Amino acid sequence: MSNQDNKSPAGSGSSILEAPNILEFPFSRSTGPVIGEFMTRLRAGEIVGAKTKSGKVIVPPTEYDPETGEDIEGLVPVASTGVITTWCWVASPTSKHPMDSPFGWALIKLDGADTAMLHCVKANSASELSVGKKVVARFAENRVGHIKDISYFELQGGN
Amino acid sequence: MGVNPSAVVGIGQTKYNSVRDDVSIAGLCREAAKRALEDAEMSWSDIEAVVIGKAPDMFEGVVMPEAYLADALGAAGKPIIRVHTAGSVGGSTALVAASLVQGAIHERVLTVAFEKQSESDAMWALSRPIPFSPPTLAGAGGYFAPLIRAYIRRSGAPSHVGMMVAVKDRKNALKNPYAHLHMEDISMEKVEESPMLWDPIRYLETCPSSDGACAMVIAGEKTASSKSRTPAWIHATAMRSEPTMFAGRDAVNPRAGQDCARDLYSQAGITNPRKQIDMAEIYVPFSWYEPMWMENLGFADLGEGWKMTEEGATALDGDLPVNCSGGVLSTNPIGASGMIRFAEAALQVRSMAGDHQVPDCNLAMGHAYGGGSQYFAMWLVGANRPT
Repeated sequence: MSNQDNKSPAGSGSSILEAPNILEFPFSRSTGPVIGEFMTRLRAGEIVGAKTKSGKVIVPPTEYDPETGEDIEGLVPVASTGVITTWCWVASPTSKHPMDSPFGWALIKLDGADTAMLHCVKANSASELSVGKKVVARFAENRVGHIKDISYFELQGGN
Repeated sequence: MGVNPSAVVGIGQTKYNSVRDDVSIAGLCREAAKRALEDAEMSWSDIEAVVIGKAPDMFEGVVMPEAYLADALGAAGKPIIRVHTAGSVGGSTALVAASLVQGAIHERVLTVAFEKQSESDAMWALSRPIPFSPPTLAGAGGYFAPLIRAYIRRSGAPSHVGMMVAVKDRKNALKNPYAHLHMEDISMEKVEESPMLWDPIRYLETCPSSDGACAMVIAGEKTASSKSRTPAWIHATAMRSEPTMFAGRDAVNPRAGQDCARDLYSQAGITNPRKQIDMAEIYVPFSWYEPMWMENLGFADLGEGWKMTEEGATALDGDLPVNCSGGVLSTNPIGASGMIRFAEAALQVRSMAGDHQVPDCNLAMGHAYGGGSQYFAMWLVGANRPT
């Protein structure tokens, strides 16, 4: 709902009229049977992908084969380990970023998947990241059914 | 009309409801699209291009949803076009899809229109406050109520006409399994007792907020003529628009709507629309818009539209049945509402409208309007190939 916060400018001490116009729209999302199941399984500490008729496994799952539009065959579990297919380094994270200290954004192809998924990678410096590096998902203690149930990925075998 | 003959060969609708939280936006669109493909005896790979429409992005808060929906609608590597014409968009979207086939650019086009009103709040998205001004609007009803009052004053229509439309359309909706509202106990008394929202529009004289999607497959003559099909041939298409405000504008009986209808009739050789057209699905979000559009579209003389409602001419068994599906008053997923009108007209001439079928329906009109009564989209579809 929109909310007009039209506080009286009189007595504000300023000679310039002010009328804050605060517009708010609460949005909700119905995730449906596929994204919904992906979220539910994340809460359980598992990652699933969508298997297409051609046998490809898409992670995160879609309700359809993105190449053909056909329905998927079903959902299949994939590993929480995978490899970096491309990445970039965030040297100065802001408050909106998922990590407080410098980290990498990476596309990660999980073992058992045919597509890569975006997530953050914890590392000490950019020099530790490279295409093909093996990573493993670290799940949050308290999971709610959200992509942040994976806190981050880290380099497999330590940094 | 100087274009390649084209026809609707597949129609799909979702079950409409206030909240379809069992599906995502993509899932909702696919539900309608897959039914249209099934009706057309086609698969995703048969489709050459996709044309998609919905009302403003703020209604769900997904910016440019066509980008995210392209893959969901089988459009990878194919052209996909998004159409924007406010509330009339479902109709305009169908017309853009038809133009691609009529112009021989494509042979088989899928067109989809949707709205998932439950994911945000369309009424308040339409009521943005302006700093230093008292809020004067509360949704579309706040804009249209004064126009309805002007119509009643000009025409001298008795006050029960709006309520008659509200009852008729809800009774028709009982015959349409896809309709959102199924009000078994609808009556004049119920409508009259319902709260006055925007005088003279009562609660039961306004449309619901719905989630839903509608889809059609439009094909060229080669595809449409195959023996296994029941095509709805497109006989005429027209779009017109005018600004929301200009000096001398008649917002009650907009010029753009009159011109759009005149163009439509001239393409199809219609000289007496009430006699020559067998049924019409007209965009009526507030009950009084039925008589208002009857005049704007030339089905009735100026000031006489309300008599058609009162005499029962627009009822399912009248001489010009209007909104046999239950209309926008029974189902309103805004972006899809125009396409539902176009699709219902096509279902009628295909004799596939089930319990709300009009007997011997050969020529039907689909109509949509949007914005401040300023965008208009219309088509005429027929059981026979246009000559």
